[in-house]
Amino acid sequence: MSNVKTSAAGAHKPLPRALIIVLAVLTAIGLGCWFYSLAAGLEVGGVSNVSPWGIYITVFMTFVGLSAGGLIVASSAHVFNIEPFKKVALPAVIMSTVCICAALGFIIVDLRNPANMWRLFTGPNPVSPLTWDVIVIFTYLVINIIDIVLLVRGDERKVSILSRIALPVAILVHSVTAWIFSLQVARTWYTAIMAPIFVVSACDSGLALLILGLVCLEALGWFTAGRELIKSLAGLLATFIAVDAFLIACELLTMGYPGAAEAEALSVILTGAAAPYFWLEAIGGLLIPFCILVFAKNRENTTLVVVSSALVVLGVLCKRVWLLFSGFAAPYAENSPVVPGWLHAGDAASMGGLAGFYAPSVFEILVTIGIVALFTLVFLVLCNKLLGARAEANTQ
Amino acid sequence: MAHYGMLIDLNTCVGCAACAVACKIQNGTPAEMYWCKVIYDEEGTYPHAKKRVLPVSCQHCENAPCVRACPTGASHYDENRNVQIDYDRCIGCRNCMAACPYEARSCNWDDPATNTYFKGFEQTPFETAHASKHPRGVVEKCVLCRDRVSEGKRPACVQTCITESRYFGDLDDPDSTVSKKIRELGARPLLESYGTKPALYYAGLEE
Repeated sequence: MSNVKTSAAGAHKPLPRALIIVLAVLTAIGLGCWFYSLAAGLEVGGVSNVSPWGIYITVFMTFVGLSAGGLIVASSAHVFNIEPFKKVALPAVIMSTVCICAALGFIIVDLRNPANMWRLFTGPNPVSPLTWDVIVIFTYLVINIIDIVLLVRGDERKVSILSRIALPVAILVHSVTAWIFSLQVARTWYTAIMAPIFVVSACDSGLALLILGLVCLEALGWFTAGRELIKSLAGLLATFIAVDAFLIACELLTMGYPGAAEAEALSVILTGAAAPYFWLEAIGGLLIPFCILVFAKNRENTTLVVVSSALVVLGVLCKRVWLLFSGFAAPYAENSPVVPGWLHAGDAASMGGLAGFYAPSVFEILVTIGIVALFTLVFLVLCNKLLGARAEANTQ
Repeated sequence: MAHYGMLIDLNTCVGCAACAVACKIQNGTPAEMYWCKVIYDEEGTYPHAKKRVLPVSCQHCENAPCVRACPTGASHYDENRNVQIDYDRCIGCRNCMAACPYEARSCNWDDPATNTYFKGFEQTPFETAHASKHPRGVVEKCVLCRDRVSEGKRPACVQTCITESRYFGDLDDPDSTVSKKIRELGARPLLESYGTKPALYYAGLEE
């Protein structure tokens, strides 16, 4: 808490103490649950052999996207010399750094044998997309940290040079995350459009989170983005939402049109187990925010922009859910004799524990909240120190 | 070296699941984990109803999606071109489980030292004796009875099959019993279109 006191001495408002305490308590609960799940004799998560991945991987994908989106906006400002966006580069890069750390956190809690994690560095398999992801995420993290240092120093020339590397790496980091799924030959995820969908949904969710972050920072009195800037960011958001919806529509049409085996997977998405998440995204996360933001008048209303941004972030989270679990609920692109018809109907008598479907356990939810709370805390502390430092430097 | 493979003749398989039991006894797999399992399915309605039986285990693909997916090389090909898992390298990411088209892999979710076959009861001496061979958090699957085969024996499931529907041997040797039987019965692997080139063949698969 000593950090709070020193920054409180600065020109801008201090960290809200009550919020810090709540976040710290949630973090402690989450970490406690994770340690318990490692020490407990029985699996405490909802994962199973049918659905080996659960909420951690869903949220991991979401955070990689949120992170990439932030950096894409920040580095585009310098690469394409978009003067007004340069102003938000520092908060955007701080957000991007914090989100990628959160994504790494979700991977670590997801590993079921984290004691062997060092094997990723001593004997990596060069053809595994997970190996690519480890390399790209660490490169990306280093670029983010250098970017923060340069932005705080105000070294515009070096920031411009770094942005030219940061932009492709930010696009790559989410493409590689898509390839973890889209290179699985036997799954319905096996589609070339997955990486473009991931990159565009990174752009829309990342930008939406940035808008939410900027509005929060303004409320805290640490940073003033200005209504004009929020308006133009909201316009960009509307464009990204439209492209996202277009790519998803292309994929679903291709899945369903032949009326063959993949149509079954499509029915899981449209009317089956994954349907609530799909429609939440399609209507709540794409259609409604687009209809709001497409009108210039609405983009001037900060409340509407905030509501739309929150819907976009939630919509992209829902997209991760239906994307991941439709791959496990209707696993195979062709009718598979390995998976009999009753398998996914939840017949508990099946041999090998293959039946049943995924629901997150209380432990998984608490760990997820804990990690999100921890990195929200880190974001607030970093913004408080770094934005404050720059604000003071500017006034001197 | 050899290229070990197997043929399962569905025309004579009665679906007794003795193979699954023999596998559990041979390998001492923890509760709810089956390296070898039998899938039952019913189709149609009376009088055209039909029951389908399919024993499934790791298909020991030559172009295995799981080996590609594994980030640490824990899943690898052994000298007999069979797929094996080095538990010391496995980080428990389960990417191989997502990659396998045959649902052949299971994760050791629970700690075998405390997990029990019979819920509410203590471990049997059999479970305790095998617990240390199944570390928690790693992914496991059929090893094609590597130890038995190196001693010149057949895999446990092949040895135990009551209708002798399973054949084991060297696929590289055109004169081995398994190679001859595959040709004679016109056996095919499962889900060939994925190009995984399994070393397990099935005779009598429905088209």
